[in-house]
Amino acid sequence: MKAINTCPAGQIKGFIETSFSDWPGKVAAVVFLSGCNLRCPYCHNYTLVLSPHFYETIPRPWIASRLREFSGWIDGVVISGGEPCLSPRLPQLIRFFRHLSFPVKLDTNGTKPELLAALLEDGLLDYVAMDVKAPLDDIRYSRCAGVPQSVSPIRRSLAILAQSGIEYELRMTVCPSLTTREDIQDLARQIEGVKRFVLQGFNPKDPLRPELKSVSPYSRQEMLEFQRILKEYVAECTVAG
Amino acid sequence: MSNVETTDMALFVRTSEEDFRSWDRQKIVDALVRETYIDEDTAIRISKEVESQIIASNLKIITAPLIRELVDAKLIEHGLERARWMHTRLGMPLYDVNQLILHPNRENANVPHGPEATNLTLAEHIKKEYALLALFSQEVADAHLRGDIHIHDLGFCDRPYCSGQSLEYVKKFGLNLPNALSMAKPAKHPEVLLAHMVKFAAALQGNFAGAIGWDAVNLFFAPYLSGMSDREIRQLAQIMIFEFSQQAVARGGQAIFSDINIYWEVPSHFENVPAIGPGGIYTGKTYGQYLEESQRFARALFDVYLEGDASGRPFFFPKPLVHITEKFFKTPGHQDFLFHICEVAAEKGNTYFVFDRGDTAKISECCRLSFKLRAEDLEDAKEPWKMRYCALQNVTLNLPRVGYEVKGDNCRLFERLGDLMELAAEAHMQKRVFIEKLLALGESGPLSLLTMSRDGEPYLRLERASHLIGMVGLNELVKIQTGQEMHESKEAFMMGLKIISHLKLLADRLSSKHKMHFVLEQTPAESTSYRFAKLDLRHYGSAAEKTVQGDLAKGEVYYTNSTYLNVSAPINPIERVRQEGLFHPLIEAGALTHIWLGEARPSRESLANFVVKTFQKTLNDQIAFSPEFTTCNSCSQTARGLKETCPYCGSDQVDGITRITGYFTKISSWNKGKRGELRDRYRNQIYLQRESVGNEI
Repeated sequence: MKAINTCPAGQIKGFIETSFSDWPGKVAAVVFLSGCNLRCPYCHNYTLVLSPHFYETIPRPWIASRLREFSGWIDGVVISGGEPCLSPRLPQLIRFFRHLSFPVKLDTNGTKPELLAALLEDGLLDYVAMDVKAPLDDIRYSRCAGVPQSVSPIRRSLAILAQSGIEYELRMTVCPSLTTREDIQDLARQIEGVKRFVLQGFNPKDPLRPELKSVSPYSRQEMLEFQRILKEYVAECTVAG
Repeated sequence: MSNVETTDMALFVRTSEEDFRSWDRQKIVDALVRETYIDEDTAIRISKEVESQIIASNLKIITAPLIRELVDAKLIEHGLERARWMHTRLGMPLYDVNQLILHPNRENANVPHGPEATNLTLAEHIKKEYALLALFSQEVADAHLRGDIHIHDLGFCDRPYCSGQSLEYVKKFGLNLPNALSMAKPAKHPEVLLAHMVKFAAALQGNFAGAIGWDAVNLFFAPYLSGMSDREIRQLAQIMIFEFSQQAVARGGQAIFSDINIYWEVPSHFENVPAIGPGGIYTGKTYGQYLEESQRFARALFDVYLEGDASGRPFFFPKPLVHITEKFFKTPGHQDFLFHICEVAAEKGNTYFVFDRGDTAKISECCRLSFKLRAEDLEDAKEPWKMRYCALQNVTLNLPRVGYEVKGDNCRLFERLGDLMELAAEAHMQKRVFIEKLLALGESGPLSLLTMSRDGEPYLRLERASHLIGMVGLNELVKIQTGQEMHESKEAFMMGLKIISHLKLLADRLSSKHKMHFVLEQTPAESTSYRFAKLDLRHYGSAAEKTVQGDLAKGEVYYTNSTYLNVSAPINPIERVRQEGLFHPLIEAGALTHIWLGEARPSRESLANFVVKTFQKTLNDQIAFSPEFTTCNSCSQTARGLKETCPYCGSDQVDGITRITGYFTKISSWNKGKRGELRDRYRNQIYLQRESVGNEI
């Protein structure tokens, strides 16, 4: 793919200065890094994945100056993507924000447990949101990730988070043609004991796979039903969007 | 021909009294003598000339309006312009009435389409003409017609603009309205009090052009709620919200534009006030002792807002305005309550966060209007039924037009702004004289409800009335003067502040000069910003083309509302509340910053965090978060975001819902200007930069 060849992963391509929805309780800034190793059919940030070269890389000094401008207001920085853990310079980027005295939250798909472990070991992260795509078996996971994906790194990431003592949440996007009630039930059993789980409705507006545009998302009632299932296994489950 | 005897004429006149009358020339003479200053001989001469013209045309039937037009044409021929003016007929062409009956009116998105709405529009049309011909001087009327200023609600020229009241009036005096068919004693039960409140609001709506606001509703209900279970209180809250939101009976079949002010604490000025309870009798306690009931009711109201209506849509009315004060943060349970109202803001958008810093106390209503309580008002608080306020009228200045006129010359800019403010004051004084005249007719006059004096003074306390002066397009005026919009440079922003400070100064000066209370307001400008933009495009051609916002090709043009920053600029919410908030202390009668959320569903804790910071770190008066919704008429589900088709069932029978200006409504009812604005709104979404990184804000 030309796009990925001409644009290395981990460039800052998007920036939200003030988000109320990316870090519970915080007013957070969010940076979006280019590149991803998955191709989730429902992805709505796929321009960052498929065509990041169309967009300007936002220079760090500019971001720093914006963050300083709102000091006292912005409580932390969320690093999202794409998949931030693809970038070898991620630790350095996190340190950059920490030097500006911002706590850092990482959004990750959990496919890079070694890097995640290293970041946690170095105390660089304050919060992690990890995506789970499907129940933890290779076939179903690969289907939802859009590429062959083994679940063993996912399992390792989950274990690392559970042992780290850090505050974290799992997020799952549920799309009717990909995720069934049974999938939710199975996953819930596999992750039993997790503190916080966020269910996210699928948005058919502009998904990576255009054929999903015609898929109707689960209704509010169905989402609440999924929430009920999950609540039997996790302490806190919210429905977003 | 002229010697045909009129007695030979088989001519009938269709009169406005639904009758055929035989031709009688004398009627013309009588009308001219009665309605104008011309002498009888001239009147006879004109009547004869008109008669010959009619005879010559061989008509068998003629209408009274046509005769009047013919008479007016003769008056013009004779140079009797003044008499022609006095003899004017008000009305509408057949074609227009036909259009009106068949097609919806988009001037006010709160008015539905239907026979009641058509009646309203027809009546408004005639009253508007009346106001411009007879109520206001020609100078003022012409300025309105040209679009230098906009006098709001001319179709309601015989009423004051909007009002804020206290439930205590209804609790103490019952529902005892002039000309009513029955009288009700003070309510003994909460449901009855609620019924009185709703009916009184409907009656008031018939006497005001705009919003009906209620102060401290949860607190004043509290003495009726002692001993009620949570379920009963919740039920009462539900009835209140449904009653107000479904009461589509007032003015042209629209819901009552209603606001309820809510406090988590007992405001200091009510703390030691004796509480009125069932039967209008003092309970022996003070309001300070009803904190618990008051809080339970507040919480229940927001439970209902959170749920939304039967299909999960947000309630449009009554709008809940929660006062965030120093005392709020000292009152136990405030954190949970703040999360609760933020949850409603995130989920449905209803909550308005009104910031009363220091010792400020106010009653808020309408799209953003608020009445700051002055020393004498706080004295009234001891007898809260006295706390009723009104704004008599709203006049909005077309700021960009001043720019086209002075073309960058700052000296002339401030001089011209002075002229406009004088003109606005003039318009207010003329309206006030008219309203005073109507009020002087007392309980047998048209505004009898406002003259009732159950507590020894008229319901409408004219001496406390404010006169609003609003503005549209500060951002565009600054752009004309400095070449940049307010968010584009510090200099441009400072220019904006300087202009509003100047207007504030002029308002204060006019107040002391005329002994009337002139205050600046952020005009909601639902249709005014579109009207001004359209008129300026017509009169100022290319200068206006470079300045107006929106889509010129589609005619979806608008000016940025009041003192707002460009709605499409990617300005984050912090910057917006901070920068726009700098104007708020100058705008005494109320200001609001919108945060358009679009599809995003924020966390309630993050919103609460932001609300607290806005209170502590800015001068911002009021904020509201506005999500967008799509509601499906086929499957009755509501989804977040504005969508072409229902995401659940695929039907295209959907309505988009979001805030138009200060209230929620269906987008299908919006005027073109507002639709243009909607497309432009920056919704705090991710922004991927295709070119070089933009200027700093």
